[in-house]
Amino acid sequence: MLKIEDLHLSFGGIKALQGISFEARPGEITGVIGPNGAGKTSLFNAISGFYTPDRGTVYFEGRDITGLSPDKRAELGLARTFQNIALFRGMTVLDNIKLGGHTRLKTNVWQALRYFGAARREELELRRDIEERVIDFLEIDHIRKYPITMLPYGLQKRVELGRALAMQPKVLMLDEPVAGMNREETADMARFILDVQEQFGTTILLVEHDMHMVMDICSHIVVLNFGQQIASGTPAEVSGNEDVIEAYLGAAA
Amino acid sequence: MINGNLKASYAADERVLNNSYKQLFVYGMMAVLACFATFANDYMILIACKMGILLIAVVGVNILTGYTGLISLGHAAFVAIGAYGVTILDNVLMGVVPEGLMFFVIVPLAVAITAIIGIFVGLPSLRVKGLYLAVATLAANFIVIFLIEQDLFAPWTGGMVGVNTPSPNLLGWVLDTNREMFILIAIIAFASLLAAQNLIRTRVGRAFIAIRDRDYSAEILGISLLRYKLTSFALSAAFCGLAGAMFAYFYARILPEQFELDLSLELVAALIVGGMGRTMGPVFGVILIVMMPEVIKVVFAYFTGGDASAARYTAPLQEIAFGLLLVFFLLKEPLGINQITDRILRAANRWPFARG
Amino acid sequence: MGQFVQFAINGLMSGAIYALIAVGIVSVFKATKVVNFAHGYLIMFGAYFYYTFAVIIPGQEWAPAWLASWEPAWLMESREGLPMFSPMGAVLDWAQNLPRILFGIAGALVANAIVGRIIERTLMRPLMGQSVFAMIMITVGLISIMSGAASIIWTADADFVPHIAPNAPIRFEMFGTTIFLFGADLVNMLIALFIFAGIVLMVRYTKSGVAIRATAEDQSTAYSMGISVPKVFSRAWVLASTTGAIAGAILATRNGISPSLGLFGFSVLAIVLMGGLDSYIGVFLAALAVGVMEAMTQWQLGGDWAEIVPYVAVLVVLLIRPHGLFGSKEVERI
Repeated sequence: MLKIEDLHLSFGGIKALQGISFEARPGEITGVIGPNGAGKTSLFNAISGFYTPDRGTVYFEGRDITGLSPDKRAELGLARTFQNIALFRGMTVLDNIKLGGHTRLKTNVWQALRYFGAARREELELRRDIEERVIDFLEIDHIRKYPITMLPYGLQKRVELGRALAMQPKVLMLDEPVAGMNREETADMARFILDVQEQFGTTILLVEHDMHMVMDICSHIVVLNFGQQIASGTPAEVSGNEDVIEAYLGAAA
Repeated sequence: MINGNLKASYAADERVLNNSYKQLFVYGMMAVLACFATFANDYMILIACKMGILLIAVVGVNILTGYTGLISLGHAAFVAIGAYGVTILDNVLMGVVPEGLMFFVIVPLAVAITAIIGIFVGLPSLRVKGLYLAVATLAANFIVIFLIEQDLFAPWTGGMVGVNTPSPNLLGWVLDTNREMFILIAIIAFASLLAAQNLIRTRVGRAFIAIRDRDYSAEILGISLLRYKLTSFALSAAFCGLAGAMFAYFYARILPEQFELDLSLELVAALIVGGMGRTMGPVFGVILIVMMPEVIKVVFAYFTGGDASAARYTAPLQEIAFGLLLVFFLLKEPLGINQITDRILRAANRWPFARG
Repeated sequence: MGQFVQFAINGLMSGAIYALIAVGIVSVFKATKVVNFAHGYLIMFGAYFYYTFAVIIPGQEWAPAWLASWEPAWLMESREGLPMFSPMGAVLDWAQNLPRILFGIAGALVANAIVGRIIERTLMRPLMGQSVFAMIMITVGLISIMSGAASIIWTADADFVPHIAPNAPIRFEMFGTTIFLFGADLVNMLIALFIFAGIVLMVRYTKSGVAIRATAEDQSTAYSMGISVPKVFSRAWVLASTTGAIAGAILATRNGISPSLGLFGFSVLAIVLMGGLDSYIGVFLAALAVGVMEAMTQWQLGGDWAEIVPYVAVLVVLLIRPHGLFGSKEVERI
């Protein structure tokens, strides 16, 4: 589904990523873990197109997308959320989620100015779709008219997930979806992520620090350290790996 | 507790006037304007026409600055292009296009030309943000006015001394009085407002706001920055071009100095005072910005008793008051008059249960 | 070739003045992240203050006679028998005016510093750390306030303003053509260069310069490291308004006094963006380049085409190098 091959990325002299290769298998949850500064977010930015890698290739459904801009990648069906919530703060929850439907809609400027006719039909169809498929699903119907700034952190994260879901993505990339949440909120979010996988069959790629959650919900895990891929495999394999233990706990005494 | 807010369908919820207070306000205003056209005196019609023309242009600036978040200090250039476009096209196509159809040919043409020039002026917006763009558009404003003034183009533009403008002829109905022009301007201004409101409740307008609020996450949702920034420039230029066309039709003569920096600042100030990124913002802003100098003139003349030697202070006072108004709103109510009316509307909506 | 040199020299001289104006915009931007759209009007105030203290006040009845025209016996004696337009005569003219020139400059410096401080205190300070956009738009509002205020306060039409330096004509031969320039212009250029260099050195090497640079990097960090950010703000504004006063005085002698002096601010703003907003050296080079280009345009196409040179130049530069010739590109973190 999403395949990374030998990805290299550097900023000036700093080598952020060195030869990362893995595959996110269709319909499964793949986790990317690693200590702070391991290059997880850089990897996400390279996959979604903000950074151009020095070397290596990103394949999406077998197609080389390394040279595409972020918006083109989104059109193909690649959605993501951000570590530090990137919602549009001037808008309501509903408008934020509607924005997720952007690539699926066809309205052009001229139709938009007149509204009645094609644009109206499309808008109402979008509204029905996101109400039924996203807002109901994520249980956020009570806040749909609230401006983002009025929401607590946990709900903002959920709205951001909703916005990504509104894209009807084939691959969903979540950058630390439960960072800064308490245990209850974390459990809620984990349940939503599993539901997304089950109900929509979405391929999910996830960066997270919460080891319990990663081990619980991921079927495959990639471990990064200082920009290098030090292990990959099932949760059981990874948690038994010497290099991984060393990276997290320091060299064995 | 919010009153008058029950909806039974998504369609009802997606309406523009989605509660009875908004309906009352807008339909009421329409009725007032209809009466106004028949009862108001010539002076009031003149002021109202000025407001209408400025409103169309500010709606355009709102699309760019308010919704898309790109600052422009040069939109007067687009008003100029619209105004000169209509005038020159009228002269060129005289005799080619039947007179009754002239309006319907040259106004869209002039607006289209303005939009295309808008795209060119918008090109720096792809690479630079904020301030740089403000200065780039300011530079474009100076260049456009400079070119209009050049002797080289004087056969068409009239150069420094300006050029006489035509009266619109709608299928044989010649609008040669201000009162007739008021009807035309009011209808076009209303249509512009509605179009802007339609824009922001669909995909295109949402993309603009997304670019304003956080442009990298707009990209991640599949919004092409290139395409939408240029679209925004083209649209806002088009509205300003339309305002320019009305400007040319309304006044008997246009001069390059009418489209200089002062007008650009007036457009931005009206937007800030009224409320950026809100549909009704331009309306409130324009009313205040146009009324203020008139009020100052009247009040000042009253206190000085029509003393001729004091009259020379009127223009500088108006200028200072304009600046103070802008500064005041930026310091005290940066979201503009629209924010104040929102508060009132919200209170009315919840009355008598709670305030706030 | 001789013509070329003549126009190049003219261009460099006006370029130096542009650099002097630009230094005010750059300093305020560096310290406060605000681009001052009204800087030209600050300069216009400087020009009017110079006019007030060098012409209006000495012309009053109550002013001492030596202020209006200094006429010690030795000076009057050496004037005797000098031909019209002799270099010596120009120097003596200047000496006669010296008291009111000094009074004018001192007055303009103080008055403009007060204006700059008032602006900073009442309009900029309340928004510090909140909204840079609002601060910038406030400077846009200032344009109207200042130009309106100037036309209420100063009603007299443009009048003669004494040159800052002896205005002796200087002639020399180069490439077979006579190059011709005025002493006052030369001194103006030197003053501008001197002040520019002084400010650059001050920002680079002194303690308050370090404070400005630290604030430019990161306001809140600078604040928490014990740098008084409000003080940096007001210093930057005072710096801008005092350099603006000198630039205004020079412009008043070159171009005469009128409310349109404020428009200089916009072309200098274009120059500042060309150079890259936060780079003194870039802005300096851009100012000289635009000065020379203007002079060349004037030579080849005529005077009125020269006025759009900065605007065309800034558009071209921004399309090729979006952050100016020497500006630092802000790295966006996602």
